Amino acid sequence: MSWLFDIGLTHYVVLATVLFCIGLYGVVTSRSVIRVLLFVELMLNAVNINFAAFNNAINPGDLSGQVFAIFILTVSAAEAAVGLAIVISLYRMRETVDMEDFNLLKG
Amino acid sequence: MSENLLQGVIFWAFALLSVGGALGAVFHKSIIYAALFMLLVFLSMSGFFILNNADFLAIAQLILYAVGLTIIMLFAIMFTGDKPLVDNGPKKSSMVAYGIISAFVLALLLKATTFPFRAQAMGGASGYMVNVLPTEGSIQQLGLTLFKTYSLPFELASILLLIAMVGAIVLAKKTFDDDDHATAKYVLDERSQPTDEARKALARHDELVAGKIGAGK
Repeated sequence: MSWLFDIGLTHYVVLATVLFCIGLYGVVTSRSVIRVLLFVELMLNAVNINFAAFNNAINPGDLSGQVFAIFILTVSAAEAAVGLAIVISLYRMRETVDMEDFNLLKG
Repeated sequence: MSENLLQGVIFWAFALLSVGGALGAVFHKSIIYAALFMLLVFLSMSGFFILNNADFLAIAQLILYAVGLTIIMLFAIMFTGDKPLVDNGPKKSSMVAYGIISAFVLALLLKATTFPFRAQAMGGASGYMVNVLPTEGSIQQLGLTLFKTYSLPFELASILLLIAMVGAIVLAKKTFDDDDHATAKYVLDERSQPTDEARKALARHDELVAGKIGAGK
């Protein structure tokens, strides 16, 4: 039972994988664009856990992993801002946020 | 030993909170509840960062995600009216298919990620153990790493943020006046089927042009 309380790298990797896959399921099943953006954030967050855990477990003296996590944070903030702006402008044009209704380019 | 025990208890508490929150967000019908469940997930992520000695990341997570992103998401939900509040989701059959796909990816990733580390990580103190909490923070060192080793990516990130900010403003700004809006609607509906709503909107627009507004312009 030592695995239960000796928290190692594997615990964090498994946890991040589970969260990533829940996010993946959310992205492919939800129909609202806002929900999809929300679950993309969840997937990015799961990756961030990996960065922090690997940094701490393998080389705690060098904080490169945390720096990369900060970059992911930055990019996800930019993505959320642009994504929500697109959602709002789409909503103005089509008056819906349902993915099924955005079929303008469908042949 | 008691430190390990404490760490284990905290880890499992946050793990339950985050996985439960994520499942709740995926399976709850109302999108507002989904956003609030995600708040739970973001908060517990911050806990994981603290457990991994990443104190700056924990604070940034709290400020950026738990406060900023959740509020922005709620704003977007409110902006887009009451239609998206309930997500009916896909059909049952395709839901099962997506579930199988996600479970397959999960199994694959678990196999791939845990295999190389199992020997070391499960082997006790000699393996990759997570360090216990330090007494002082790592922010100073993090800043030095960020500005010395990674100064070019840092500048690129700042340019990315600037572009994203300008892009978001341009995209979300109301650029159409009524004329353009009606024209866009007309073009869109020519390509797809002209709907009753579009006809009504066009008629309403014609009425407006015919003189009911215009004094203001």
